[in-house]
Amino acid sequence: MLLIHCPYCDERRPELEFGYAGEAHIARPPKPDDMTDAEWETYLFVRTNARGRHFERWRHIHGCGRFFNAVRDTVTDRFERTYKAGVPRPGEADGWTGETGGIV
Amino acid sequence: MADPVTIAWAPPAARYSLRTRAPQGLPPILASAPFADGHALGLGPDEWLLLLPDGTPPPVIDGLHALTDIGHRNLALLVEGPAAATLIQGGVALDLSLDTFPVSKATRTVHDGVEIILWRTGETAFRIEAWRSFAGHLHAALRLAAGDL
Repeated sequence: MLLIHCPYCDERRPELEFGYAGEAHIARPPKPDDMTDAEWETYLFVRTNARGRHFERWRHIHGCGRFFNAVRDTVTDRFERTYKAGVPRPGEADGWTGETGGIV
Repeated sequence: MADPVTIAWAPPAARYSLRTRAPQGLPPILASAPFADGHALGLGPDEWLLLLPDGTPPPVIDGLHALTDIGHRNLALLVEGPAAATLIQGGVALDLSLDTFPVSKATRTVHDGVEIILWRTGETAFRIEAWRSFAGHLHAALRLAAGDL
């Protein structure tokens, strides 16, 4: 069974406790009225659809209930890292460059 | 020879869901601690389940918080005996050995598709809280698995 590290429980828990919640780090635009329809469409519907490393939201719905973010490889389905919601994307605020950074 | 495991409905209890970001006298996540005349179970970073004797009025909590009576929502099963962990392990994907699931640890998880709150009250004793409408299935699943022990 796939084990996912929950950054709030600080435990690796079985996959069936979790729910997927789409791509991470997509902030709602502060002023939608100022946007064109095309920009709004992009915000609503256009996603990275990465082949490889992907930043995505997960929810520990049958556990602590918290949303958190994960770095997952969409090819291997391997979770490289999970981190709390609201934390900058790994690699932006810290020196993380890949899986060797370990699970935090 | 005594039964390797017994499954019994827990007596009625008062249950409150407590959400607060400024916990005082409450256990950390995944742990339990005595609270008033009962126990508090740390389910999340800002979420606790208060299990108190039946009829207990809402406890007074300091600071900004949300306290909800969920006594009508849950039923609980008491699973006790030398094979209690083995029995529950049949439906729960967590490692229930004493190293990783010690006495007094509590967490929300899934048993055979039913969301439960699993609380280890002793080395060979567990309390399983489940929503009322799922409790019948949970009870049947445990009894079925117990027949295979």
